[in-house]
Amino acid sequence: MTDHPIRILLAKIGLDGHDRGVKVLARSFRDAGFDVIYTGLWQTAQSTMLAAMQEDIDVVGVSLLSAAHLTVMPEVLRHRKELGIENVPVVLGGIVPEDEHHLLYEMGCAAVFNPGASVEGIVEKFKTLAADRKRLSLSEAIAGYESKNNAALGQLITYIQRDQVDGKWTPPAGSAKVFGITGAPGVGKSSLIGKLGKAMCEKGFKVAVVAVDPSSPVHGGALLGDRLRMMWGEPGDNFFIRSLSSGKEYGGLGPHCADVIRALNGYGFDYILVESVGAGQSDVAIRDVVDKTLLVLMPESGDSVQFSKAGIMEIADMFIINKCDLPGADATEGQLKSAVGADRPICRVSTVRNEGIEAAADLILA
Amino acid sequence: MATKPISDPQAAPVANDKPFYGPQDVAGIDYARDLANPGEFPFTRGIHPEMYRQRTWTMRQFAGFGSAEDTNERFKYLLGQGQTGLSTAFDLPTLMGRDSDDPLSLGEVGKCGVAVSSLDDMRRLFDGIALDQVSTSMTINAPAAILLAFYIAVAEEKGVSPDKLRGTLQNDILKEFHAQNEYVFPPRPSVKLVTDTIEYGTHHMPQWNTVSISGYHIREAGASAAQELAFTLADGMSYVEHALERGLDVDEFSKRLSFFFDVHNDFFEEIAKIRAARRIWAKVMRDKYGAKLERNWWMRCHAQTAGVTLTEQQPTNNVVRVAYQALAAVLAGVQSLHTNSMDETLALPTESAVKLALRTQQIIACETSVTSVADPLGGSWFIENKTNEMEAEANAIFREIDDLGGVIGAIEHGYFRRSIADSAIKQSLAFDSGEAEVVGVNKYVEKDYERIDVLKIGADVEKQQVARLQQLKRDRDAKRHQQSLEALRKAAADDANVMPFLIDAAKADATVGEMMEVMASVFGRYDGGPEW
Repeated sequence: MTDHPIRILLAKIGLDGHDRGVKVLARSFRDAGFDVIYTGLWQTAQSTMLAAMQEDIDVVGVSLLSAAHLTVMPEVLRHRKELGIENVPVVLGGIVPEDEHHLLYEMGCAAVFNPGASVEGIVEKFKTLAADRKRLSLSEAIAGYESKNNAALGQLITYIQRDQVDGKWTPPAGSAKVFGITGAPGVGKSSLIGKLGKAMCEKGFKVAVVAVDPSSPVHGGALLGDRLRMMWGEPGDNFFIRSLSSGKEYGGLGPHCADVIRALNGYGFDYILVESVGAGQSDVAIRDVVDKTLLVLMPESGDSVQFSKAGIMEIADMFIINKCDLPGADATEGQLKSAVGADRPICRVSTVRNEGIEAAADLILA
Repeated sequence: MATKPISDPQAAPVANDKPFYGPQDVAGIDYARDLANPGEFPFTRGIHPEMYRQRTWTMRQFAGFGSAEDTNERFKYLLGQGQTGLSTAFDLPTLMGRDSDDPLSLGEVGKCGVAVSSLDDMRRLFDGIALDQVSTSMTINAPAAILLAFYIAVAEEKGVSPDKLRGTLQNDILKEFHAQNEYVFPPRPSVKLVTDTIEYGTHHMPQWNTVSISGYHIREAGASAAQELAFTLADGMSYVEHALERGLDVDEFSKRLSFFFDVHNDFFEEIAKIRAARRIWAKVMRDKYGAKLERNWWMRCHAQTAGVTLTEQQPTNNVVRVAYQALAAVLAGVQSLHTNSMDETLALPTESAVKLALRTQQIIACETSVTSVADPLGGSWFIENKTNEMEAEANAIFREIDDLGGVIGAIEHGYFRRSIADSAIKQSLAFDSGEAEVVGVNKYVEKDYERIDVLKIGADVEKQQVARLQQLKRDRDAKRHQQSLEALRKAAADDANVMPFLIDAAKADATVGEMMEVMASVFGRYDGGPEW
C-alpha cells in the first residue's frame, strides 16, 4: 500500500478563521506525499464527516482555535458513527487546555496536538494512524456498493483508483449524463459546481462530482482544494463529491478517472459533473470521458478578451460566464458571442450573488 | 538602498548578513529630507516634537469575554487600575455577523470575546460608563458599521451626541481578505460599506477614528515584517482612494484614519518597520493625495505585542517576550499599545495576567526613562539603514500590487493569501529545522515546567445569551422592525450610505445577523477567492 498516497482531510469547523496552522500543515503533508483535502473555513461537524466518507479518508484532522472543542468534537464523533465510518481516526489540533486532553481521548479522538507541536511529529502520527486503519476489503466494498452504501462507494472508488479491482468486477451500466466542466484557474469552476449541484439536487436529481486537481510534480502528494468551494449545508445522500489527483502528468485526468465515472454511473447517479484543471492535456482528455463539455469563463478587464486556448473553444458545447458581478461582463459576452456564433448556448452567472444558477442548471438538465 | 524582491520567499531576510554598520550604510541619507526632527515631515522620528515627554502613549488592553455584564465588569476593573481607554473584543459569532442563536454559533458564544447581537447587549456592555469620558476601541470588521450603529444609539440614550464620541472602529475589511478571514460580503461591496462609515464619521463624528488599518493580523497569519508594512499601507491607500472617489475632502477624512501594527520579536526590525511606515505615509498623503494639513500626514498607530510569539510551554517566559516587544513599540514611537498577557496562547487572559501585562507598560513608562527623549535610536547607522531597507522593500511590494490592479485586484488574484502562506511555511520549516530557536519549545526544553491557571468560560453564558436574544425577538415591535430592515435593504440596493438606516434598524431592535442577512441579499456572500 505504500505506493499509494495516504488520503487525509483537514477541516476547520465553526466560525473560527485562524487558518495559518492548518494551511502550513496542508502543504507539509502534501510535500510528505499525502493526498490532502482541505475543507476550507466554516464547515459543520456533519459536512466534515460526510466529506471523510465520500473521499475515503484515512485520517481526519480537525483544527479548532475557538475554544469550542468540547462542543464540536462530540458532534464530529457522533456523525462519524452515524455515517458508519468509525474506522476513520479523528485528530484534533488547537488551543486545548492540558487538563482537557483526557476528555477528548476518552470521547474517541485519536490524538490531540497543541500549538508548538512539530510538523514532523504530526506527520508521523498521521502515518501510523493511516497504517492502522482497517478498511473494507474489496469484496465487502463491492457488496456495500451493490446495497447502495455510500461509505462502501467511497472505499470502492479508492480500489478503482489504485488499480486493485482489475477485472474482478465491473460496474453495472447506468444512465447518467456526464458533463465536463473546464476553464482557466480562477474562473470559479468549483463554486459554480457547488451551486449547480445544489440546484439540481433540489430538483430531485442525484448528482456526483469528480474533481480533478493537479498533483505536486515534485513530491507526488496533492492538495485537493476544489471540494471546499463545492460544499454547502447538509447535502445528504444525493450529492456525492470525490476529489482525484491527476497523478504524475500535470493537467491530465489522472489514472482510472473514466473507471471512477463508470462506477458512479452504475451506482445510480443521474448526473455526473467532472471538473478538470483546465490546463494542458485535460482539455482534450476530457472529451473521451464526458458526453458534453461546458467551458467556464469570467469577465476580463482590458480591451481585448483573451479567451483560453483555441482548442477548448472549439470543443465546448456550452459556455458559462461566471463572476458577472464584476465589471466587463457585457463586453465579454459580446465578444464571446461573436467568437463562437449563435448555435451554442451562453449563460451568465454570479455565484457570489446567486444569480443565473437556475438558468445554468436548466441548461444542463435540458 | 537594497531593492531585493521581498515577495520571493527565498529572499526574505532571516538574519543580518553584516557584522556591524557604519557611516557608509547611511551615506545616502539627507537629514532634512529623510529624517528631520521629531514632529517634522516626513515624521520618521515621530509625529510629535516631544513625544512621550509631553504625554505617554495610551495603555489600551483589549478585553471581552462571556456576556455583556462580564465584560462590563472587566472594563470597570481596568479603568479602576489606571487604564486610559477601552478596547472591546467581540466573540466569533459577532465578528462574523451572526447572532448568538445562529446554528453556526454553537459552542462559540462569548468564548473569544463578548457576544453582542442587539442594541440591548450593547446597552449592558457600557452600563455605568460615561461615553463622553472614555475612548472606546471596537475590534470588529465585516459587521463594523452595525456595531457602530449600536454604539451611537446607546450613546444617544445616555444623552451623548455622536460628535462627542471618541474611539476607534477597526473596520478594516481588506486585511480580512488577506489574512484573518472574517469577511462576509465580496471585496467591492465590503469596501463600499467601509467608505459609508468613513463618510458618516467625517460628517458626524469628528473625534472618531473610522478605520484602524491593521497589519497585526497579516503578520500573525505569517507575513514578514516588510509584507506587513507594505500590505497595511497599501490597504490604507486603497481606503483613501475609495473615499476620494466618494467625493470626500482628503483633509477632512484622513485625520481619522489610524494604523495598527504587530510588534514581533526582531527588536530593531520592528522599530525600523514603524519608522518606515511613518515616512512612507507622510509622503503619500502629502505628495500623492495632496493633503494640506500637516496632521493628515501623520501615521498614527496602535501596536500590540505579537500573540503568535507566545508559547504554551513555560508560559511565564511570555512575560519577558512581551516586555521586550513593548519596549520596541515604545522606542518606535507608537500612540497606543496593548501588551499581551502571558496566558493568551492557552485561553482568554485571567484578571491577574491582564494586570501584569498592563504593569509591564507602566514600568516602561515610569521607571526606564526611555520616555525622556523622542526617538532615542534615531541616527543609529543600523536603525537608519534598516528603516531605508524596509521602505525599499515596501515600495517593491507596492509595485507588485499595482501590477495586479491595486489591492482589490490583487485580492482577486489571491496574491496576498499566497504571499502570506509562502512566508508562513518558510517560518514553520525554520522552526522545525531548529534554525529558528524558541526558548522552551525547541531550545532549553523542560518536560515538567510550571503550569498556570487559565480562564474558562462556562456553557451557561451561551444558554443565557440565546434565551435573552430570543426573548428580545418576541418582545420587539414587529412592524417597526420589519420596516427598518426593508428600508435598509432598499438603501443598500440603491447604493445609498447605509449608516442612517443601520442606526434606525438598531433602534428597532434588529439584530446583527438580521442586518447582515439583509445586506447579503444585495451584496452577496464571498467564498474567499482563488487562493485558500
